[in-house]
Amino acid sequence: MKVLKSWLNDWIDISEISNEDISEGLESLGFEIEEQSDLKPNYSNIVVGKVLEIYPHPNADKVRVTKTDVGSKTYEIVCGAWNFDVGAVVSVALPNSEIKDGFKIDKRDIRGVESNGMICSASELDLWDDHEGILILDDNILPGTDFSSIYTSSDYLWNIGITPNRGDCMSYLGIARELSNYFDKKINIKKSKLNPSITNILNTNSGKIKECDSYGSVEIENFTVTDSSFLIRYRLSNVGTRIINNVVDITNYILYDVGQPLHAFDRDKLFNTVSVRKAKNNETVTTLDSQKRKLTNDDLVITDGDKPIALAGVMGGLETEVTDSTVNLLIESAYFDKVSIMKTSRKLGLISDASIRFERGIDFNIQKYGLEQFLMTLKDSQDIKYSELSIDTKNNIKNEKVNLKKDEIKKLLGIELKDSFIKKTLKNLMIDGEIKNDNIEFTAPSWRYDLDRPVDLIEEFAKHHGFNNFSSNLPQGLYKNEKGNFWKVKEYLSKILISNNFQEIQTLSFVNKEMNTVFNPEKKYVTVFNAIDKSNNYLRSNLMSSLLDTYIFNLKQNNILNSYFEINTVFNSSVDNTFNDVPNQNVVLGFITSANLTTQDIRKSNQNIDIYYVKSLINQLINDTQLEPIIKPGFHQNYSFSIFKNNEIVGHFGQLSTELQNNFEIENEVFLGEIYVNKLNLNELKLINYKRLSQYPFIKFDLSFSVPVEFSAHLIVDEINKLLSKNENEIEIFDDFQHENSRNLGIRIVTRSYEKTYDDNETRQILMKISNSLEAKFKITLNSGNND
Amino acid sequence: MPEVNTEKIFASFLLSVEQVTSIDEFNDLEKEYLGKNSLISEERKKLSSMSEISRKKYGKVLQELSTQISERLNQERLSFQSKFFKEKELKDNKDITINWYKDLGSREHVLTSVMNEVVDIFSAIGYTVATGPEAETSWHNFDALNTPDWHPARYESDTLYLDENLEQLLRTQTSTVQVRHMQNNKPPVYIVAPGRVYRSDQLDATHSPVFHQIEGLAVDENLTFSDLKGTLEYFVQEFFGKEIKTKFIPHFFPFTEPSAEVLVSWKDGEWLEILGCGMVDPNVFQHVGYDKNSQGFAFGVGVERLAMIRYKIDHIKNFYENDLRFLRQF
Repeated sequence: MKVLKSWLNDWIDISEISNEDISEGLESLGFEIEEQSDLKPNYSNIVVGKVLEIYPHPNADKVRVTKTDVGSKTYEIVCGAWNFDVGAVVSVALPNSEIKDGFKIDKRDIRGVESNGMICSASELDLWDDHEGILILDDNILPGTDFSSIYTSSDYLWNIGITPNRGDCMSYLGIARELSNYFDKKINIKKSKLNPSITNILNTNSGKIKECDSYGSVEIENFTVTDSSFLIRYRLSNVGTRIINNVVDITNYILYDVGQPLHAFDRDKLFNTVSVRKAKNNETVTTLDSQKRKLTNDDLVITDGDKPIALAGVMGGLETEVTDSTVNLLIESAYFDKVSIMKTSRKLGLISDASIRFERGIDFNIQKYGLEQFLMTLKDSQDIKYSELSIDTKNNIKNEKVNLKKDEIKKLLGIELKDSFIKKTLKNLMIDGEIKNDNIEFTAPSWRYDLDRPVDLIEEFAKHHGFNNFSSNLPQGLYKNEKGNFWKVKEYLSKILISNNFQEIQTLSFVNKEMNTVFNPEKKYVTVFNAIDKSNNYLRSNLMSSLLDTYIFNLKQNNILNSYFEINTVFNSSVDNTFNDVPNQNVVLGFITSANLTTQDIRKSNQNIDIYYVKSLINQLINDTQLEPIIKPGFHQNYSFSIFKNNEIVGHFGQLSTELQNNFEIENEVFLGEIYVNKLNLNELKLINYKRLSQYPFIKFDLSFSVPVEFSAHLIVDEINKLLSKNENEIEIFDDFQHENSRNLGIRIVTRSYEKTYDDNETRQILMKISNSLEAKFKITLNSGNND
Repeated sequence: MPEVNTEKIFASFLLSVEQVTSIDEFNDLEKEYLGKNSLISEERKKLSSMSEISRKKYGKVLQELSTQISERLNQERLSFQSKFFKEKELKDNKDITINWYKDLGSREHVLTSVMNEVVDIFSAIGYTVATGPEAETSWHNFDALNTPDWHPARYESDTLYLDENLEQLLRTQTSTVQVRHMQNNKPPVYIVAPGRVYRSDQLDATHSPVFHQIEGLAVDENLTFSDLKGTLEYFVQEFFGKEIKTKFIPHFFPFTEPSAEVLVSWKDGEWLEILGCGMVDPNVFQHVGYDKNSQGFAFGVGVERLAMIRYKIDHIKNFYENDLRFLRQF
């Protein structure tokens, strides 16, 4: 809400308080300062003039020439507006003056007539938007008067945020109330003195529904639609409200001033009792914006007899609108239920200054005061006749007495508050309350909806004590640097991937259906019911599609990298393993890499990434794993494996199917995998079986075997390890040569005894033992002439 | 008695040293002057046939010559070597201004590194990581957190739901983890819950349908508003630096009371909001089955916001596009 210093000053004397102090006060009371600015006139050297003569321009039809008295002199000024006559008092930009945004005005020849300046409109002086013509001033202002002396333009403006629990602060009165405690200054409640002189011709009441607790109204006769006063127009235009006419402006003004939304009907368009009821389903009403609104039983309508004439609390109806010819008014001042107004306003997408106040809750006891203030303001500028106020109240809303134990304050806030502070705060905030021994008994005022529990009052005290006046203390938990298994596993795995040149990514959780089906055709997906983007309404069932997307996206951006990973949640519609009330969700580490990318950098060596590389990566990520081939959609027929640890599946990896690789137009073989982070335990991942180092020299020999094409090489490695189990060994396959139906495996054996240095004879025996055992066990043949 | 002319030998040695052109030649010189077949060795063989006086005397002469040569040889070898390598290095002069390996190394995503940093800051004072589901029940996301059923946050325009009865949704805040955690753990509780949250927003410069929050919760005997304040001041200083000031301004959240927003002093005297916090509302304790006199505080911080402030990132979309040009900057 926008707050003008001069307007606020009506309620609380802040003229002597600096803007900085007021800003600090507002902020410490919970009004976030979104913007603040020093207002200065956006013009200079503007004076008041009186039009003495008007005559046609000799060479132009669309403008007229005036003789205007500006006090010291009478000038000939050409003017294009037609909304004034001889005798009009106007604002004049003399030669060598400036209007809005520094635009310079000087003598100017307009089609053969020299114009000595310009007669200004409100928008030319940056006062408010007005395209009706020039600004007409009060008749009794003397020509020559400096315009800035009759129109306040020096002011200070805050735009503050009001939290949704504090609807009572959406008015100047409300903000003044809060500041009155901060600055310890009394607020000036505006008095009203009324002399009703007509009798009501219409009956009004609050209807039979609980959603309208109070319906107040007053009838006004002898009214003329005209401009509202300068003060009102100045104030409203600065709080961002459109200037319309006196009746609309004053209803808006009272809304901002005291927080009571008002509505003006043309009384002559009403014929029966005015009341409130729920709309019937499919009933319609045409609102002020000429829209025909279709209603339901949830909406509240104002009725003339039974006929709906306005959407209660949200927007008036077109048919009973005040127009230029209106002479008699009915002003409504009502209390409508918060939730009901909120629902209607959200449903119809109609959010007005009135509806946001109703939905946050207005003072349920201010309807009469709102009408009084309206009359006081209107009768100041017009000789109107008005009726007695009619207020029909059900009195269903009441704030209950609440009891706060004083020691609860210290318990929650950690500080002791003096009784004098408590009393002062209650008094200034107009909370009806008293200290009784160790208790504070209080009742919330009619404008507060956030004070019905003991803790609510503690918060109030904390706020008025000033959050920044609290001391600071740092409590600590028992288990320091214990982030928990999940977080530590996540950090452990990502460190390994990063050290292998994998880049971490974060992609959105929403995908299209295809991105799920390509890897998980079997799964039941979770969809978003009210998705923002209807084509991406699926929650992803895997991370691989997003990884592929990013891989391809970066290649297209000329960003060269082939390895990415992401750790995030994947979803499916079965029941979650941990929480039985939500869909299944698992945190997965997904990764992608590919055979070497083409780069122009000749110095970079080839990386030669293949399925073996990925396998070794898996071993680096998770120790002691077993792999088992598995047919998986989207994967290569032979190169797709489940990863087991302790006989439990902890992930899978493989090569992207060559068909998909082709479809995605990727040049190199792509490898993908997923690891189920929640299934891993950091202590197990970090389990290290230290192998002591032998102090004796190694012996080394290479063996080559002819093996069947289908043979699994690890069988040989395992067998040799078994045969040499008492030694420290490094056994590896160094060659795998296949030609048609023959296959040769090269095995390099490096072994050390823990007890002695092997001599030539012993070395030969070991070699014989290995080759004989392998030949016998696997029915394979040692190729001759290749041992070392 | 024929004796060799030691001065002549030494002079000839020096002459040879001057002509050395590679380190290996020092070994040759050593052999020539001090080795088995050197003149000195030959002369030594003659010693046995000499009288004791002559032997001692000539032996000493030969020893002095040998020492003199050997010391000089080592000295020359070291200085030649050092000169040789210096010259070798001077000749090898690459243009270091070329970035041949500019893309070397990969990184955590900037959001992950910010989350890790925040988790580390809190784990140092005894907070552990808690997690909860991203697809949640409306009860955990709203009801348990004291959000009335008419609250605008529940509207379909704000929240992404999974079913037409609006019973399941994508959590709009990590505060749900508070609820899950308290349902399953007794106090004392000191947790942080980093994770994804979802809102019904189009991806643009300042909004994203997916973003990250870190929720914190402490429930323990006698925790007060001062403890909340001290905890968050500690966090801000650890994350942004000791010179950064904080201020607390009252705010409103359904699940805390009193509630506050924390602002930090930034460049040019600007104050920026970085997190929301407050004392846990008694209704929340009641919903999770805690004693109604329990006391504690909660806070929530936006990870994207922390990153955007710290690195002056202008567009939230950058976090999710995963353009390497962006990712590699952090």
